[in-house]
Amino acid sequence: MWRVTLKGVLAHRLRYALTALAVLLGVAFIAGTYVLTDTINSTFNGLYTQIYQGTGAVVRARQAFNPGASFTSQREQIDATMASTVARVPGVKAVALGVEGYAQLVGRNGKPIGVASNGPPTLGVAWTDVAALNPLRMLPGGSPPRTSTQVVIDKHSADVGHLRVGDRVVVLTKARPATYTITGIVTWGSADSPLGATITAFTPATAEQVLGQPGKVDEISVEAAPGVSQSDLVSRLHAAIHNPKIEVVSGQAVTAEGQQSVHQALSVINVFLLVFAFIALFVGSFVIFNTFSISVAQRMRELALLRAVGASRRQVMGSVLGESLVIGVLASAAGVAAGIGLAAVLKAGLAALGFDLPATGLVVGLRTVAVGLVVGTVITLVSAVAPARRAGRIPPVAALQDVAAEPRQLSARRVARGAIVTAGGAAVLGLGLFGHTGSRIVEVGAGAGVVFLGVALLGPLVARPVSHLLGAPLAMRGTTGKLAQQNAMRNPARTAATAAALMVGVTLVSFMTILASSTKASVNSIIDSAVRADFVLSNGGIAGGSSGFSPDIERSLNALPQVSATEGIRSGIVQLYGKTTPVVATDPVQASRLFDIGVTQGRLASMTPTGIAVSTQAATDRHLRIGSQIAVTYPTTGRKTYTVQVIYSVRELAGDYVLPLAAAQANFPQALDIDVFVKLAPGVSASAGQHAIHGVLAAYPNVTLMDQTQYKAQQEQQVNQMLNLIYGLLALAVVIALIGIANTLALSIYERTRELGLLRAVGTTRGQLRSMVRSESLVISLLGAVQGLVLGVLFGWAIVAALHSQGITHLVFPVEQLLVLAALAGLAGIAAAIAPSRRAARLNVLHAVTTE
Amino acid sequence: MTITREQAAARRAGVAAAARIIDGVKVYGQGATAVRALDSISADFAVGRFTAIMGPSGSGKSTLLHCLAGLDRLTTGRVLVGDVDLGSLDDKAMTLLRRERIGFVFQAFNLVPTLTAAENVVLPLTLGGHKPDRVWVDRLARSLGIADRLGHRPAELSGGQQQRVATARALVTRPDLIFADEPTGNLDSRSATELLTQIRRAVDEYGQTVVMVTHDPRAAAYADRVLFLADGRVVRELPDPTADRILDAIRELGEQGAE
Repeated sequence: MWRVTLKGVLAHRLRYALTALAVLLGVAFIAGTYVLTDTINSTFNGLYTQIYQGTGAVVRARQAFNPGASFTSQREQIDATMASTVARVPGVKAVALGVEGYAQLVGRNGKPIGVASNGPPTLGVAWTDVAALNPLRMLPGGSPPRTSTQVVIDKHSADVGHLRVGDRVVVLTKARPATYTITGIVTWGSADSPLGATITAFTPATAEQVLGQPGKVDEISVEAAPGVSQSDLVSRLHAAIHNPKIEVVSGQAVTAEGQQSVHQALSVINVFLLVFAFIALFVGSFVIFNTFSISVAQRMRELALLRAVGASRRQVMGSVLGESLVIGVLASAAGVAAGIGLAAVLKAGLAALGFDLPATGLVVGLRTVAVGLVVGTVITLVSAVAPARRAGRIPPVAALQDVAAEPRQLSARRVARGAIVTAGGAAVLGLGLFGHTGSRIVEVGAGAGVVFLGVALLGPLVARPVSHLLGAPLAMRGTTGKLAQQNAMRNPARTAATAAALMVGVTLVSFMTILASSTKASVNSIIDSAVRADFVLSNGGIAGGSSGFSPDIERSLNALPQVSATEGIRSGIVQLYGKTTPVVATDPVQASRLFDIGVTQGRLASMTPTGIAVSTQAATDRHLRIGSQIAVTYPTTGRKTYTVQVIYSVRELAGDYVLPLAAAQANFPQALDIDVFVKLAPGVSASAGQHAIHGVLAAYPNVTLMDQTQYKAQQEQQVNQMLNLIYGLLALAVVIALIGIANTLALSIYERTRELGLLRAVGTTRGQLRSMVRSESLVISLLGAVQGLVLGVLFGWAIVAALHSQGITHLVFPVEQLLVLAALAGLAGIAAAIAPSRRAARLNVLHAVTTE
Repeated sequence: MTITREQAAARRAGVAAAARIIDGVKVYGQGATAVRALDSISADFAVGRFTAIMGPSGSGKSTLLHCLAGLDRLTTGRVLVGDVDLGSLDDKAMTLLRRERIGFVFQAFNLVPTLTAAENVVLPLTLGGHKPDRVWVDRLARSLGIADRLGHRPAELSGGQQQRVATARALVTRPDLIFADEPTGNLDSRSATELLTQIRRAVDEYGQTVVMVTHDPRAAAYADRVLFLADGRVVRELPDPTADRILDAIRELGEQGAE
C-alpha cells in the first residue's frame, strides 16, 4: 500500500505543491521565529559572558522585588565611598564605580539618536580604567574621557549620527543639556552596541552628576586578585560590608542575570510571533483539508478500484493519510529550511529598525527543527483525517459507475454539528472575554478558533445563496460572469472551505481594525473631557518604561510668565497586592488644575505625600474607602504604606493608582518626566504660548510639543503603529488563504477540462475564459470577506464590550476601512486567480473536447 | 430563417463550397513516432449539403473534422471556411469564427452543466454579447421538441434531449457550417433517429451545411453523401447513400485493405 501512496503523491505532485506551500510558509514562520530569537539569545549569552569575564563580584543595593527586564537599574543607589571599603578587602584586585542612567546623544543633524519610546535604550554610563571591569572596548585612535566635558560613545551611535573622535556633541540627560567632546569610540564587548542601544560613557564624577546624584553609585564592580575564587570573594566582601541593605553577587550571577533579562524579553517576542505563526498554520489547515477533499472526490473511481481489487477500508484511508504524511514531512522540512532564510531576513529587518545585531551565524537549535517538523506534519495529518475517512467510505462499486465529483447534500448532522461547535466556541470566547477566570487570552484564542471551525462547518449552508448574491452583478454583465457565478455555487462545500481560509484572515484584520478604531475614539474622548492642559510635552516614553526627559524642562516652563500651570508625570514599577504593575506619580495640586479625572471623593489639591489616589474600579475591587491603607512595594526602597485620600472615576489616563510626586522622588531612581502638561496663563494666545515654550525646548530636541489635537494624533499614531505591525503579521495568513483559493481553482479547472474545452469550441475566447476564472475567484474571496467581516464585527463588538471597564468606551465601526478591506480581499482573489486562469486559457481545445 | 442571397445564389450555381480542405497534412509527433493522421487530403463541402465521414478508427476522420472546424491546425495544406483561410487566423480570430460561423454537436459532454438548457442554446450568442432572437430560439426549441425543457439543467435531461439542446445551440447562430462528431454515439436508437431527423431538417429547411463523423451506417444514410477515409486520405465518395450501399462500400473497402 505504501507504494500506491507514494505513487499517488508523485502522480499528483503539482496539485500538492501548493498545499505543501501552505504548510511550508507556516512552518517557516515558526522556525524563523525560533532561529531569530535563539540567535539573539546566543549572541547575548556570548556578549554578557564577554563583558563580565573579568568581574569577580558586584556590590549593590538589595532589591525588594525584581521588576523584570529593564536596561536601567531599579535599585537604590549606594554611597560611592563604599568603594574604598571594598577595595581594602583582601582578594580584591581592583574596583570600578558603576553609574547608569538616561543619556541621549544628539546627532550632527540636530536630531537625537535612538528612539525613546519603544526603540533601544539610550544609556549613559561611567567609564572605568580597570580594563577587566569595563564592558566597553576602545577602538584605535580614541582615548578615555578625562574631564567633565569629555565622553566616549558607542560605534553604532557614531555611525548613525556621523560622529567622530574630536567632534563636539550635545548629550541630553536628566540635567541640563551639555556639550561634550568625543575622545573615543567604543564597542560593547565585541558588539557595536547592545541591540542598537546608544551608550555614552562619562568620567565617573560626571556620570554621578548627570546620570544619578553626586556621591552615589548604582553598583561597585570588583575584580578578584589572582587565585581568589568568585565565591570566596563574595563571602569576604559580605563579611566586610556587613549591611543588610547591600548585596554582593558573583560575576557569574550577574552574567546570568543579564542573559536572563534578554531571554525574558525575547520570550515575549517569541510568543507574540508564534501566535501569528499558528494563525497562519490554522489557515493552512483549511487549505490542506480542501486539497485532500477535492483530491479524494476526483479520484473516487481510482480509490474505488483499489477497494474493488481487495484493499480494505483502512488501507484506502491509510493511503490518503500516508499521502498527507509524506507531504507534511516534506513541506515541514522545507519550511524549516525556509525559516532559517526568513530569520536572516528578519534580522536584517530589525537592523533597519535600529535594533542592530552583531554579525554572528544563525543558531539552528534541535528544538527549532523538531517543533517545525512535528507541528507541520501533525497539522497536515489532522487536516487530512476527514477526507481520508471519506475516502475509506467509498464503495467498491463506485469504480464501475460514472460518479462525478458533484456536490453532496449538506447533511442535517453536519449542520447540527456546525451549530454546536459554533455555539461552543462562542461560549468559550464569551467566558474568556467576560468571565473572571485566570487565563483569558487562552480562552479567547481557543474560543475564536473553535468559532472559525464551526462557521466553516456551516459554511456550505450560506455559500450557495451568498455566492449567488455576490455573483449577481457579474451574471448581469454577461455569460462569462454568469458562468463564474454558477461555478462558485456548484460545489458549496468546496467554495465554503476555500472561502473559510480567507475568512479567518479577514475576521482578524477587521476585528483588529474595529478594536483600534474604538480605542482611538475612546482615547480621544477621554482627552477631550479630562485633559484641561493646552499643551503636552512628550518624548514618547510610556509608563513603566525607562525613558523620559529632564525635569529641568518643567521647572523652566513653570518660570515662564505665559504659563499658569505645569505638571510633570513620572512613572515606575511597583508591587501592589502582589502584582507587579506600572504606576504614575505626579504633583496632586497641579493635577487638580490640569485634569478632570472625575474625582468622586476627596480632593486632589489636599493630597499629602503619604496619600494615594485610587480609581473607583480599584476601590470596588479592593474594598477601599477614604482612609484605607495601601501597601506599595518599590523595587528600590521596599514596602511603604499610603492612605487613600482621593477616589476618581476616569482611570483611562492614569490607571488605577496615582502616587504623589514625593513618592516618585523618594522611590523611583530615574527622576525623569515621561510627559509634562502645560496650561497657559489667562489671556495668552496659543501661538504666543507655543512660541515661549519652544524657546525652552530649543535645547531639548528629544521632546516634542503638542497641542491637544496633536496629542490625540500622537496617541492614535501609537495605536496605528501596533495595528500596522499586526496587519503585517496577519498578511501571511491571508497569503496562505490566497494560495488556497489558487489551489482550489486549479483543481476545479483540472476537473472541468472537458467543460472548458466545450466552451472554447463553441466560441469562448481565451480572454473570456480567464475572466470567468477570475470572476469565480472574486466571488469566492468576497464570500470569505463577507463571512470574515460579519465575524470580525461580532468579535469586535464583543471585545469592546469586554474592555469597557478598561477604558474602551466607544464602539466604532470604521465602515470605510472595512469596505476597503473587502475590496482588497476581492482584488487579492483576482490576483490569486492569475495563474489558474492562464492555465485554463492555455488548455488545448481539442485535448479538452476529446478527453475521455 | 431565410437563406442569404449569396447562399441562395451559391446553391443555384451548385458550386460554392462552405468549406474546403486542400492538400491537408496533419502529422502528430516527431521522428520515428510521427503519425500521419491526414495525408494530402483534399475535399469540398458544398453549401446546403449534409456530408457524413466514415472510416475505421485511426483513419483520420476525427482529425479531418477538427481541422475543418478550426479546433486544430494542419501541419501543411489549407482549410477554407467560406473564403477565410483558417491558417491565417490567430487563436482569437479562430475562436470568433467558431462562435459565429460554426456549430458543434459532440458525442458526449455537449452542454455546460451549470447553465439551463435555454442558456446553453444561446451560449454562442451571449458569449459575443449579442441578444438572442427570441422568435428564432422559440422556433428552434419547438422544432427540436425541447420547448418545455428549456428551464432545466442538463443533469435533468435525458441523453436525447441533451443532444437536441446541443443541436439547437449549433443552429442558433445560423452558422455556415455545423460539425457533428458521433452525435448519436451515446443515444438509444429511437433518440438517434429523432436527432438525425432534426439534423436532416436543418439541412433541408434552413439550408445548413452539415459535416458529421460517424461509424454508424444508419446514421450516415441520412447524409447527402458519404466520404470514406483510410490512412488519412479519401478513399471513396458515395453520393445519395443508403444504409445497405454504405455497408457494401465498407465491405469492399475492407477487402481492398486486406489485399
